[in-house]
Amino acid sequence: MMSLPFFGVFLALAATLMGQRMAALALWVLSVATMLVLFRLHVTDPLNIAL
Amino acid sequence: MDTGLTLADRFRVLNALGLLAVSAVLIAAFFDQLVFNDLPCPLCLLQRAGFVCVAAGLALNVKFGPRPSHYAIMILSSLAGGAVSTRQTLLHIIPGEGAYGDAFFGLHFYAWALVLFAVCVLGSAVLLLFDGQFERQSADAPLHRPLLGTAAIVLVLLLALANGVSTVLECGSGLCADNPTSYQLIQDGTLNRLIGR
Repeated sequence: MMSLPFFGVFLALAATLMGQRMAALALWVLSVATMLVLFRLHVTDPLNIAL
Repeated sequence: MDTGLTLADRFRVLNALGLLAVSAVLIAAFFDQLVFNDLPCPLCLLQRAGFVCVAAGLALNVKFGPRPSHYAIMILSSLAGGAVSTRQTLLHIIPGEGAYGDAFFGLHFYAWALVLFAVCVLGSAVLLLFDGQFERQSADAPLHRPLLGTAAIVLVLLLALANGVSTVLECGSGLCADNPTSYQLIQDGTLNRLIGR
């Protein structure tokens, strides 16, 4: 699941190379949205430190 | 010297150089991961994702010519990545409370990431100042296709794919461990079963 933003942008870049601008934009939106959802899930990670 | 390049073409080359700079950041992170076995934590991975999202805006500028919307993509991606790096920097900001991963020229990677996301926002804003790059060429004017631009897009595309595969190896199909110490799919033998060993 953590890999989804990478694969999303990979597809967005492939769409860019193929001249599909709207597809690239849509895939970027999906990738950033996924990244922000994952950030929400991980924002309280303790990372083995003392706070 | 007249090179036959329009202002838009020159800015496309600048954006291609930006793509190479983002690639250098991703390669440095990969180098640290593979050579020093410094596995990226979930927040680290999300910062890498922020950089590849910035690269999507740069690639759009390189391929389709500069547009304000492409710079907006770079700024919004930088803000998303910057939010993650700010969070991780704050986790470690108290002196003597430890850090995650190795330091690089005195700063840890998440602090560098915060600086670089700020540089991306600043750079995008400065480039947006030059209105001449957005003047539309006539439809029949041939679009200059620099080899550098295509090569830079392919390089960052491969880096995005490599990061995706590496993340699957590290975390499987779920969320990553907070403090990863090994590649989950290699450790539990899934990879060996998949390749038939």
